[in-house]
Amino acid sequence: MNFNLDFFVRTFFLALAGLPVTVGLTACTLALAAPCALAFALVRMYRVRFFDKAVALYVTFLRGTPIVLQILIIYSILPSALNAVALRSGWKLDVFAVNPFWYALFVFTLNTSAILSEVFRSAILTVDRGQLEAALAAGLSHFHAWKRIVLPQAFLVALPNLSNATVNLIKSTSLAFMMTVRDVTAIAKIEASYGYNYIEAYLDIFIVYALLGFAVQWAFSAFERRLGSWRKKALFR
Amino acid sequence: MHPPGCCRPGAPARVPKRDRMNRPFDPAFALAMIPSLLPYFAVTIGVTAASALAGSCIGLGVARARLSRTKAVRAIAAGYTAVLRSTPSIVLLFLVFYGFPAAVHALTGINIHFWHRAVFVIITFTLLFSATMSEVFRSAWLSVDRGQFEAAVSAGLSPAQAQLRIVLPQAAVSAIPNFGNALISLMKEGALAYMVGLIDAMGQGFLVVSRNYGARSLETFLALAVLYWALTAILERVFLLVERRLSRGLRGVSQ
Repeated sequence: MNFNLDFFVRTFFLALAGLPVTVGLTACTLALAAPCALAFALVRMYRVRFFDKAVALYVTFLRGTPIVLQILIIYSILPSALNAVALRSGWKLDVFAVNPFWYALFVFTLNTSAILSEVFRSAILTVDRGQLEAALAAGLSHFHAWKRIVLPQAFLVALPNLSNATVNLIKSTSLAFMMTVRDVTAIAKIEASYGYNYIEAYLDIFIVYALLGFAVQWAFSAFERRLGSWRKKALFR
Repeated sequence: MHPPGCCRPGAPARVPKRDRMNRPFDPAFALAMIPSLLPYFAVTIGVTAASALAGSCIGLGVARARLSRTKAVRAIAAGYTAVLRSTPSIVLLFLVFYGFPAAVHALTGINIHFWHRAVFVIITFTLLFSATMSEVFRSAWLSVDRGQFEAAVSAGLSPAQAQLRIVLPQAAVSAIPNFGNALISLMKEGALAYMVGLIDAMGQGFLVVSRNYGARSLETFLALAVLYWALTAILERVFLLVERRLSRGLRGVSQ
């Protein structure tokens, strides 16, 4: 095995240049998916007629199929659907000029909203019903009872799962190269393909994702410790 | 309708030549794809099962190491888990596929390039699954009260017996739901194996698409999605039943 150290170092910094795309895609996805997921969770918990069944179907489908297939399916429907809409409505949109980032954002938002809706639902269920009742009895409106009493408590419980979901999302965004997004993975893969230096390139990506994963996990656990500092210390350990 | 694989199971679907253009979505084709893709799920399930088995064994070892008394052992095990949990499957898959044979060749001079692709896929997913499982086993083992072990030992069981007959059955119950979830995500991640050329359900789907010169790809992918969805639903159901059966003796707050 002749390891090309020069290529390894050079590609590492090239791949790092793709980090804003990976992080940006992840952050935008989370920002879009979280409100949708909260709405889905509430629809299911309040058993809104018809919509709860529709959301349940949506969630099981997106959680039950591989993300590669979701990418393949949506990436073959969405551009042509957009094109058809643009042609019908006289909207001047060149589908081939659309930045693939938006397609990727769409796919990952669909997928993540389904995953987060389950995270939020299970977190909200851990909050005692008495908390909501007490808040309502104390004169808070339904909206304020949720906003100030239930959701903050649920959020703390959801944090570890949220951290997991974020790390999983970062890992999934490595598939964005299938939609020609130039993220960390895509840049290193393209570099590798010139001289068949795949081992070096994949080691680079491996290191970048490991560092990113460490950073995200550390940030989430620091945040959780800060938010949950009022919680009693566990009895043992 | 174009019946794919009319003679033998899994025979490639063929779209008539005049139909290889961009035609509207054909649900009948998607439906007809399902039985022809089904046999290839044996490969998907086989790879998943092999990785799950090997990954669980390694995961158990890593979980044990994470609870070790030696600080260095604990740190190594924690590092192993943390690194592998933040590695995308596709990256590790290619790293193992290209790097493992090269490393073996460099170290021992043995050429393993010709090994079946499934071997490299199984190695990759074993590594990934072991990291997940080490967390599952660790939290399950910690969920059993220490008093259970102490009570068993003071009742005259040997420490090994106490672990095997008292702690393990209780830990298994709390590990089952997490194990089920991990297995389902392993199966879904396994869909990436087609990228190194393994002919599993996804690989066969791509073969069908390329034999049709890219036509009917949406139908093929939808058929695959439905099959994966069904497989996930079955696994979820099975794990729910196992969990119910194993937690017979438990009375939780919710019951």
